[in-house]
Amino acid sequence: MSVQWKNRVLVAAVSLFLGGFMLWSIGKPLDAESVSERRPLAGFPALSGEAVLSGRFMKDFEQYTLDQFPMRDGFRTIKAAATLYLFGQGDNNKIYIQDGFASRLDYPLNRDSIAYAASRFQFIYDRYLKGRTQNIFLSVIPDKNYFMAEKNGYPCLPYDTLVASLRERMEFARYMDLFPSLQLSDYYRTDPHWRQEGLVEAAQCLGAGMGVDLSAEYTVQPVEAPFYGAYYGQSALPLPPDELYYLSQAFLEDCRVYDYEAEAYIPLYDQEKAGGRDPYEMFLAGPKPLITIENPRASSGKELILFRDSFASSIAPLLAEGYAAITLVDVRYISPQVLDTFIEFGNQDVLFLYSTSVLNNSATIK
Amino acid sequence: MLFSSVPFLFYFLPCTVLLYFAVPKRLKNTALLLCSLFFYGWGEPRYLVFMLVSITQGYFLGILIERHRGQRLSKWLLGISVAFSLLLLGYCKYADFFIRNINALTGLSLPLLRIALPIGISFYTFQMISYVADIYRGQAPAQKNFMDLAAYIAMFPQLIAGPIVRYTDIAGQLKDRTHSLAGTALGIRRFITGLSKKILIANVLGGLAAAFKESAEPSVLYAWLYAIAYMLQVYFDFSGYSDMAIGLGHVLGFRFPENFDYPYTSCSVTEFWRRWHISLGTWFRDYLYIPLGGNRRGKPRWLLNLLVVWLATGFWHGAAWNFILWGLWFAVALAVEKLWLLGPLERHRVLGRTYVLLLVLLSFVLFDADSVAGGFSQIAAMFGGGSLPAVTPESLYILKSYGIILVIAVICATPFPKKLAAAMERGRYTGKVLCAAEPMVLLALLTVCTAYLIDGSFNPFLYFRF
Repeated sequence: MSVQWKNRVLVAAVSLFLGGFMLWSIGKPLDAESVSERRPLAGFPALSGEAVLSGRFMKDFEQYTLDQFPMRDGFRTIKAAATLYLFGQGDNNKIYIQDGFASRLDYPLNRDSIAYAASRFQFIYDRYLKGRTQNIFLSVIPDKNYFMAEKNGYPCLPYDTLVASLRERMEFARYMDLFPSLQLSDYYRTDPHWRQEGLVEAAQCLGAGMGVDLSAEYTVQPVEAPFYGAYYGQSALPLPPDELYYLSQAFLEDCRVYDYEAEAYIPLYDQEKAGGRDPYEMFLAGPKPLITIENPRASSGKELILFRDSFASSIAPLLAEGYAAITLVDVRYISPQVLDTFIEFGNQDVLFLYSTSVLNNSATIK
Repeated sequence: MLFSSVPFLFYFLPCTVLLYFAVPKRLKNTALLLCSLFFYGWGEPRYLVFMLVSITQGYFLGILIERHRGQRLSKWLLGISVAFSLLLLGYCKYADFFIRNINALTGLSLPLLRIALPIGISFYTFQMISYVADIYRGQAPAQKNFMDLAAYIAMFPQLIAGPIVRYTDIAGQLKDRTHSLAGTALGIRRFITGLSKKILIANVLGGLAAAFKESAEPSVLYAWLYAIAYMLQVYFDFSGYSDMAIGLGHVLGFRFPENFDYPYTSCSVTEFWRRWHISLGTWFRDYLYIPLGGNRRGKPRWLLNLLVVWLATGFWHGAAWNFILWGLWFAVALAVEKLWLLGPLERHRVLGRTYVLLLVLLSFVLFDADSVAGGFSQIAAMFGGGSLPAVTPESLYILKSYGIILVIAVICATPFPKKLAAAMERGRYTGKVLCAAEPMVLLALLTVCTAYLIDGSFNPFLYFRF
């Protein structure tokens, strides 16, 4: 190829690339949301004199061009591949992959966050539990990094310090150690959450700690739709999907779940959500501020109040075997100030069950 | 508007190039001016006023200076124009610095003006001063066409982060310039190289520097990694911008001066400043150091001139004491070199390079610090101060994660890739392969850069704040 031809090819190729994508961007219909990132995408910003003079229009326009760029997911994959495989970086936007499992780096320990979470739990104890019940329990759910970070050279939380710090601040609760009853395969490969079918031992561990016998045999039921977890979209890499299963048992079929927000009964396992944007939401219908699982087949009238995050959605049905009612409270979505409007606090068992991720990033707790 | 942004690359640039080449020759400067004003106004529409006022005073005073050249009045007019430019810069950039220091010294509580710094004001102010000074000296004629002068000052490729293009460099090109396929291809090559330096190296290393600042687990290793990464980031960020500016200039038919020449291979600080931000160094030499007398008025006056020039250089970079100290740091190094060290450093080149790299590395730690005390505490941390551990798991991970990009950055900061490409070009077969591969490699780089932009990674230009 002569130099002149090289110049021609270069000028033509770059002009086509820049001009072509400009025309494609302008001509393509707007995408409302990014399925892989599970978020709405920016549309063309409103044009006004005030928006232009304040610079808001330009800022919004830039977001629009980024969100609506043609082949956006493909470009994100190129970036992820270049970051991880060309430049050999350990993570892409804090997501790393080891042995087929994707996880998000979460370090260092945010002591203020742990203290804040503990202070909110202390408020709940002082306001509703003190003098009413002795059966207050605490357990912490490790994230995937506990199993895969350190051994692969990634930094991770000092889990012992985190738990010790929380226990020190929550002396009113008896700690139950879940860590030994879990392993990496109990988690989804593309999602931060744990698999319900891997939680029987963990549930029994909690049951034993709370003096409840959990011995039911479960049948593993598959969900047909593939499960692309939250880290699938964030990693932007073509990871194979997870398989989603749930556990069935006769007593579970009789359980009913009441949603205080919707003022209606909802399914224990929502099959519609299993095929939706976040299939993990099939367990107790996803994020809900306040729900109660009622088990008419319970051998005793014991009740449990479970202060929780999203991890509890899949383990709570297994705890239901030992309780006539489990009320799940997510204080990220409901203020603890108003709980007595909905719950009559008495001598129920109370369990604070939180993942390390939420404890280390607890600003969302009200 | 950033060069390394989707609106610039995929909207502004294609439209501008299309418009520029579509209009007849006599309207090209007008088209360039309109596009440049749009480019500048995109970020901060209000600050167009500052720039237009600056251009207007330069236009009229430039004509008057030329008309009265050789008379006493000409000097007064030059003084008025320079004072106007400096006052505008001082008001926008330095007012709060002076108010803070007056408050600290006197105990007063004068309110701060809190003026957001108009982007690129330091660059176009210096261009305007060089323009009127060159007319005063008789080195350039005054531009009678307002559009042409405005097109020179506001020219978008070099408007906001240099190189500081002097009027004498491009006066002829403003009137008559040629456009060619070879020039356009050269410009594209240079632009994509600069874009890649910015996005694939500087921004990634910026991630390391940002991670260090956010880290709760500092260590000696981490402090060194940060210092090295930041030193390389500044170079690739700024030289990448200059490459893009020069490349765009080529596409539009202009030849801008080079701004960087592998500064990290220098054997002395004197050499370093001949290779780093060349257009700023030569500006201070020609418009401050030499008018002050340079080295022609005896050693004490020469040392004073050096001090003044480097105080000004530091202050130009930012209205804070750490920038002033950064300038003084180099004033001392240059004085010591010129008095004693230059000969030995040039004879022992390995030693010279090590000395320059260490000195510049530490200077950039000070440069990046929030305060003078913060800068020195950071430098102390690099040498074990503050009882920091040697390493932490986080710092080891960062080393592993950024190791390849650091090696790439170090290699690309030397002339080795350029020499390798030149050697390949000379080879009979390798030359053909390189010729065929070049468009593909450049297109691949543009694709990867686009991918990084769309993923929305860390992207600010460091030199915008100057």
